[in-house]
Amino acid sequence: MSRILLVEDEKNQRELYAAELRDDGYEVEEASDGKMAVEKVKSNKYDLVVLDIRMPEMDGIEALGKILSRDKKIPIVIHTAYSNYKSNFMTWTADAYVTKSSNLDELKTKIAEILAARGQA
Amino acid sequence: MLIKKILLNLSLYIPDVALILFLTEEGVFVPEERSHFVVVLVYFLIKISLHNIVAFFCFIKPYSAVKDILLQFQRGRYSMADSAHVLKPSACFGDLFELLRSTGRYLDNLVGSQNDEIEKFRELYNNVILSANSYFVVLNARDEVIFANKSFSANFRYTDDEILGLRLEDIFYIIPGRFSDAIDNVKKRGQSAVLRKIKLISRRKISLIADIKISRVTVQGEKQYIIVMDDITSQWRKDYQISLISQISESLQRDEEVERILYAILTAVTSGSGLGFNRAMLFLYNEQKKILTGKMAVGPDSMEEAVQIWGSVQNEELNLLGGGPDAPPVLQTNGAFYKQVVTSNFAINGNTLFADVFNKRAPVHIYDAASDPRVDPETRKFMDVSEFVVVPLCSANKALGVVVADNKFNGAPIYEDHVELLSIFAVQASLSIDSYNSLSSVKERMEHIQAKQEAIVESEKMAAVGRIAAHIAHEIRNPLVTVGGYARRILQSVKKPQKTVEDIEKAASIILHESERLEKILSNVMDFSRPSPLIREYNNLNDVVKDTYYLLKNVLQERKITATLDLEQKLPLVKSDFNQLKQVVLNLLQNAMDATPAGGSVILKTGLTETHIYIRIKDSGTGISPEAMDKIFDPFFTSKITGVGLGLAVVKKIVNDHNGEIVISNNPEGGCQFSVELLRPS
Repeated sequence: MSRILLVEDEKNQRELYAAELRDDGYEVEEASDGKMAVEKVKSNKYDLVVLDIRMPEMDGIEALGKILSRDKKIPIVIHTAYSNYKSNFMTWTADAYVTKSSNLDELKTKIAEILAARGQA
Repeated sequence: MLIKKILLNLSLYIPDVALILFLTEEGVFVPEERSHFVVVLVYFLIKISLHNIVAFFCFIKPYSAVKDILLQFQRGRYSMADSAHVLKPSACFGDLFELLRSTGRYLDNLVGSQNDEIEKFRELYNNVILSANSYFVVLNARDEVIFANKSFSANFRYTDDEILGLRLEDIFYIIPGRFSDAIDNVKKRGQSAVLRKIKLISRRKISLIADIKISRVTVQGEKQYIIVMDDITSQWRKDYQISLISQISESLQRDEEVERILYAILTAVTSGSGLGFNRAMLFLYNEQKKILTGKMAVGPDSMEEAVQIWGSVQNEELNLLGGGPDAPPVLQTNGAFYKQVVTSNFAINGNTLFADVFNKRAPVHIYDAASDPRVDPETRKFMDVSEFVVVPLCSANKALGVVVADNKFNGAPIYEDHVELLSIFAVQASLSIDSYNSLSSVKERMEHIQAKQEAIVESEKMAAVGRIAAHIAHEIRNPLVTVGGYARRILQSVKKPQKTVEDIEKAASIILHESERLEKILSNVMDFSRPSPLIREYNNLNDVVKDTYYLLKNVLQERKITATLDLEQKLPLVKSDFNQLKQVVLNLLQNAMDATPAGGSVILKTGLTETHIYIRIKDSGTGISPEAMDKIFDPFFTSKITGVGLGLAVVKKIVNDHNGEIVISNNPEGGCQFSVELLRPS
């Protein structure tokens, strides 16, 4: 069972995504901001990180850098309401960029693809 | 015998006595003899008669000669060579005549030398008068000319004899009121008068501007009036020209229309006080059609009109450009002359004189249009005058047109200095046109730039709208995603019965919450764009603060922030909108709360300065960074994760609507203070 770290500051959204991903059979841990996410990555092992960008304390871009400097191989899916972060080169280091939608199919597809590719490797 | 002795002695001296003695016998006069007595008596009578006859014949000639000489003396002729021959030096009157002659010669010399003196003085006097360029005229009590000096008669084109007996009205078309009043005054009071700048035009078409002195003299009991005129026309013209040029440059600064400048110049050219041309016309170059086209004309249609115009500007300092009471007559656009000019065109590549002047840019003075080969038939017919001047209008290598002037009505000769002055005016006119043109091109460019600027502002506005739309879209996206996501979950739970009621309930409540958030965002945006209501009521700012405080009291407690109210009890009422001010305090208090960590404090204070009433909200929060300070009131600027960025923009708008100010400062001990300052009611 793949372990996913879900980083999302909006409680309602976070609960929604966590519930959906759990329904799909993933083990989900939650973090409400970038700082907490970095801490969690330090002390735990995750198969994938779903990372929001606009967050208090530490935003997703900064957290992305810190997570990658910790573990270069960990797959990261950026999940944000803003499509304009695509122009920020930091996001290019992520494995996928998904714009938030009420339809979570895209997010779920990307996660499945990335994990499948990793599983084969 | 004694008597005889006495008589004999007497006879030695008196011949007659001897004769008497001789006639008596024995040489003794015997009175007793009557006959002797008679003889003696007759003798005496004869003797007296003979004496008279002799005397008559001897003295008649010298007498008449002396009388003649004296009569000649009386007539002032002292030389008597002609009458000398009747007198012989030997004659008994010879000496006397000689004396008379020498007296005559002496008198002759004396008078002669005096005449020389007078003649010399007269010469000197005339020289002075001539060199002073003054015109002298002497009138008798009946206002008739009894003397006029040469310059007067010559200048006004009269012979010396012609002018005698004329009255001033016979010589001049118009006697200005100032002049005739002064003459009347001198007649009544006898005091001399001096008049400046009198404008005169003579019936023989001579115009001048003169300083005039009038004085009264009494000659042999008769009163006479001496009028001296100093011709100041040329001086006046120079002054006038200078003032005109300065007026024109002033008018340029005043941004006058070019037409007005040109009209002023043509008026100057034609007015008697200017160059005194009868007519002036202006042709400007039309670049598209390649023609000189009649733009303007100043001048009368007839001599009568000319005199009338001349009279109408009497006694006035001509102010060409000002609109005062002494402004020149307005441009007559209905005259035959004007119409003739503005309907005329001359092609610049045609063979006309005007085109020639325009192309060569050199003035031309035509003395006799009928015989001058430079004058083409078209121009000859158009001008219908033998002498005229054509002067080019050109500025900095660019020909603009021509000015044409003539003396059609009085036929006065055009002098070289007039042509020169006209050229100077033309240069001035060209400069005016040129700078006007460059001014208008600058204006045009300015307008162009302004239009561009407006376009930029417009596109900036569009960009702002785009930014606002993008911002709102982003703000709305998050809640919508959440709403949509939970709605999907509810749908799924209908399909998948393993979902619990709690799940559905939770999803629905989240949808509700997010919908409320969406509504709040939208109402914020609406608030900001809503026009401000009229402010009519008077409110106590303490009430505004207290109401808002109670609204957020629970939240403050929840966040463990201590709030303190420090209210000035004697606040005057302020004209304001209660709800809007509440919005202001609410937004500021919310910001303070958001910036202040748990355990911090917020102080709400009201108070008075000399000029203002204020509400201050002070927190112990994070303060405002210098970068943020500049942008803090910009719409959609926010430092909060979940803020729309409209709170302070709304605050600012409301405070502005209340004619107030909002002052922000960071506290030295940390945190910041917002002070809303409204004008104290007077």
